[in-house]
Amino acid sequence: MSDSIKTSDFDQAFRDEVFEEPGADKIALCFNCTGCSSGCPMTEQESEFNIRKFLRMANLGMKEQLLNSPYIWYCTTCYKCQERCPQGVQNVDALLKIRTIAVENGIMLVPHKKVGQLVVKFGHAVPINDDTKEKRKKLGLDEVPPTVHRFEEGLDEVKKLIKIAGFDEMVAEEEGGK
Amino acid sequence: MTEQEAVTETIKAEEPRIGAFICECGVNIGGAVDCQAVADYVATLPNVTTAVVNKYTCSDAGQAEIKNAIKELGLNRVLVASCTPKTHEPIFRACVEEAGLNPYLFEFVNIREHCSWIHMWEKEDATHKAKEMVRMGVARAAKLEPLQSSEVPVTNKALVIGAGVTGMQAALDIGDMGFQVYLVEQGPSIGGKMAQLDKTFPTNDCSICILGPKMVEVARNKNIEIMSYSEVEEVDGYVGNFKVKVKHKPRYLNIDDCSGCGLCTEKCPVEVPYTEFNEGIGTRKAIYVPFPQAVPLRALVDKSVCIDCGACSKACERGAIDMEQQETFSELDVGVIVVAAGYQVYDPEPQHEYGFGLYDNVITTMEFERLINASGPTMGKVVRPSDVQPPKSIGFVQCVGSRDKNSNIYCSSFCCMASLKNAQLIKEKYPDTEVYIMYMDMRTPFRMYEEFYNRARDSGIKFIRGKPAEVTETEDHNIIARVEDTLTGEIVNLELDLLVLSVGAVSTESTEKIRQILKVSRAADGFMMEAHPKLKPVDTTLDGIFIGGMTQGPKDIPYSISQGSACAARATRFLAQGKALTEGITVKVDEDICVSCGMCVPMCPFQALSMEEGKLNIISALCKGCGTCAVACPTGALQQSHFKNDQLLAQVKNVFAYGEV
Repeated sequence: MSDSIKTSDFDQAFRDEVFEEPGADKIALCFNCTGCSSGCPMTEQESEFNIRKFLRMANLGMKEQLLNSPYIWYCTTCYKCQERCPQGVQNVDALLKIRTIAVENGIMLVPHKKVGQLVVKFGHAVPINDDTKEKRKKLGLDEVPPTVHRFEEGLDEVKKLIKIAGFDEMVAEEEGGK
Repeated sequence: MTEQEAVTETIKAEEPRIGAFICECGVNIGGAVDCQAVADYVATLPNVTTAVVNKYTCSDAGQAEIKNAIKELGLNRVLVASCTPKTHEPIFRACVEEAGLNPYLFEFVNIREHCSWIHMWEKEDATHKAKEMVRMGVARAAKLEPLQSSEVPVTNKALVIGAGVTGMQAALDIGDMGFQVYLVEQGPSIGGKMAQLDKTFPTNDCSICILGPKMVEVARNKNIEIMSYSEVEEVDGYVGNFKVKVKHKPRYLNIDDCSGCGLCTEKCPVEVPYTEFNEGIGTRKAIYVPFPQAVPLRALVDKSVCIDCGACSKACERGAIDMEQQETFSELDVGVIVVAAGYQVYDPEPQHEYGFGLYDNVITTMEFERLINASGPTMGKVVRPSDVQPPKSIGFVQCVGSRDKNSNIYCSSFCCMASLKNAQLIKEKYPDTEVYIMYMDMRTPFRMYEEFYNRARDSGIKFIRGKPAEVTETEDHNIIARVEDTLTGEIVNLELDLLVLSVGAVSTESTEKIRQILKVSRAADGFMMEAHPKLKPVDTTLDGIFIGGMTQGPKDIPYSISQGSACAARATRFLAQGKALTEGITVKVDEDICVSCGMCVPMCPFQALSMEEGKLNIISALCKGCGTCAVACPTGALQQSHFKNDQLLAQVKNVFAYGEV
């Protein structure tokens, strides 16, 4: 077993930051009825993903443990839990806010970074490939679609925007990966 | 000039001599407001003879100080700056009256709720605001006029609406105190919901075994007149003098001739696949006795399914059947009214919560009560609806329709104990059955309840701390409840033969109708509102009208019975005294200004106003002093005493100080 949780693990500022998201402040009202977790289709696939537990951790301010859990990225945002919450907690919106805070703290999964790198390079999260080119040709379309794939200057602008936003650095893979 | 007018003129002619008493209320006010600074400031205001600070003005010492000041300083107005008039105005009015001052020459300023509590962290501003509030009060106090409340005789009879366990208790207590009671029940029998229950917690007595004798007692009590299958249609009047119109719905038989023998039921060829008493389960005939222990034990005809074959008429040896019967009405004069109109259980069907209404084997607590009851449709054999086989596993889901902003935000309070009871009954009757209770919090306060919970755990019932979110059905009609057990953090898929939804309580349409007839306030949860949540739990803001039991919100049987008795005690005060005081604050008309437009008449919620021969007539005894008519009056002819224009304007003019505060 790992060490027990200490009060020093409770980060009030982190809790406040999560609560800034409209409806996330309702986490304080959660009485752990399990309406969210019991009906979650992701929890059925991966029991380590438990949105009730994550929001509880946010409520306590357990910043490090929560942001470094790879499972906070498993939510597919189907919003089932948010629909049925008896206390009006905006569960999914709160989890998205937690993810945002994670990214701002430099925490992102490698596959997400890889997709981000594709955007940096091609301006598309899913760039065109030979299969798609072939399909377009069969349908009587130009092989390359009229997006930044076709327009070099457009891609340049996208790259410029990405640089301004610092997105390229955000998704750059560190030595050894994380 | 009447005597009262003469007194008023004398007081008005006197120079106002106001005594201001600033209460610290311990730290409630004193913690935020510098009361001495307020008193020092108030002492400088015009017409103020004295201004002092009390630790607790409402205490004996505080009240003695007020009385002394009235006598020694010749005060003719008293101002108290403290808490809420809701609880304390009657106390201070009585205090000044004891010192010989008219009680309406008292002005109340609320510097607690309206100042110190909401400005807890802004001491300087709170003190400033308190000064301003008291200054406004002083200005109004100077303009106050003496008013008289009048005594009205009280009809020494009571009306109790609803003959469930609460109403029965109220009727019995009032009857035993020697006053006549009309007990009006909309259903064909008295007894209410408790008559439907199997056992009752925490002692597991058979419900009808303890209720039945009480029902008979009600019927036997010479002072109680039961009006079953009847509804209150109209209520007029005021405390001591209510006029009530009651509708008696036709049973299509003469209640005095019927003996409840059931011969008619035997012969009736119409079988209805629905039973009111058994929560819809089973069948009954078109002519039927509600249940074996019904009081009065009389049959009634369900005209919506009757085929007029005449079989019942032929069977009835007493010739009681009368298919031509019409509804009739009674006019009752009563002095007080007790409302115990009850509740209904939450209906999970419209939203198909937990598959209710979709899957046969999902039922509610009330249906379960009838299934396990020896006089129920299965003679007490618990079976599941899909195949009428005994269930090998049963799950209870708590908080269905309760503690959820999507249905009702409140806790229905009795459901935890009801499920603990039902789960134990299963374990006693069928020890091999697997029983699960899925809960969020198990709430078992009050005597013997926690012990009851202990016993339930000891009997092998499994408790899962979580509420299912997904309920599905298997091919053989088993129910799968998917729930996280938060105590292990694991998701559990419970396969159950029967799922019982522990439904909460909601107010009913019929209770709401009575509420509107009586004009009792409605709380946010839909139940009727008491006058004060702690100090006046069975009173309403209307004199002479009391509420008890589920009418006032969800509660269990002991609590309901206590409230029934409480209602009786509160109501009988009026009956025993034979008189009641009417509100001194009423509306007055200046006939020189009134143009007889009549706009005020329909505004009055208490029917106190009428136009007679082109002149406005005010029945002061009916006037509650709400002021609605005065606001509607286009010429300003109507003035609300105690809230007259000059009194209010004096207050308004002093919102802003002309000098330094």
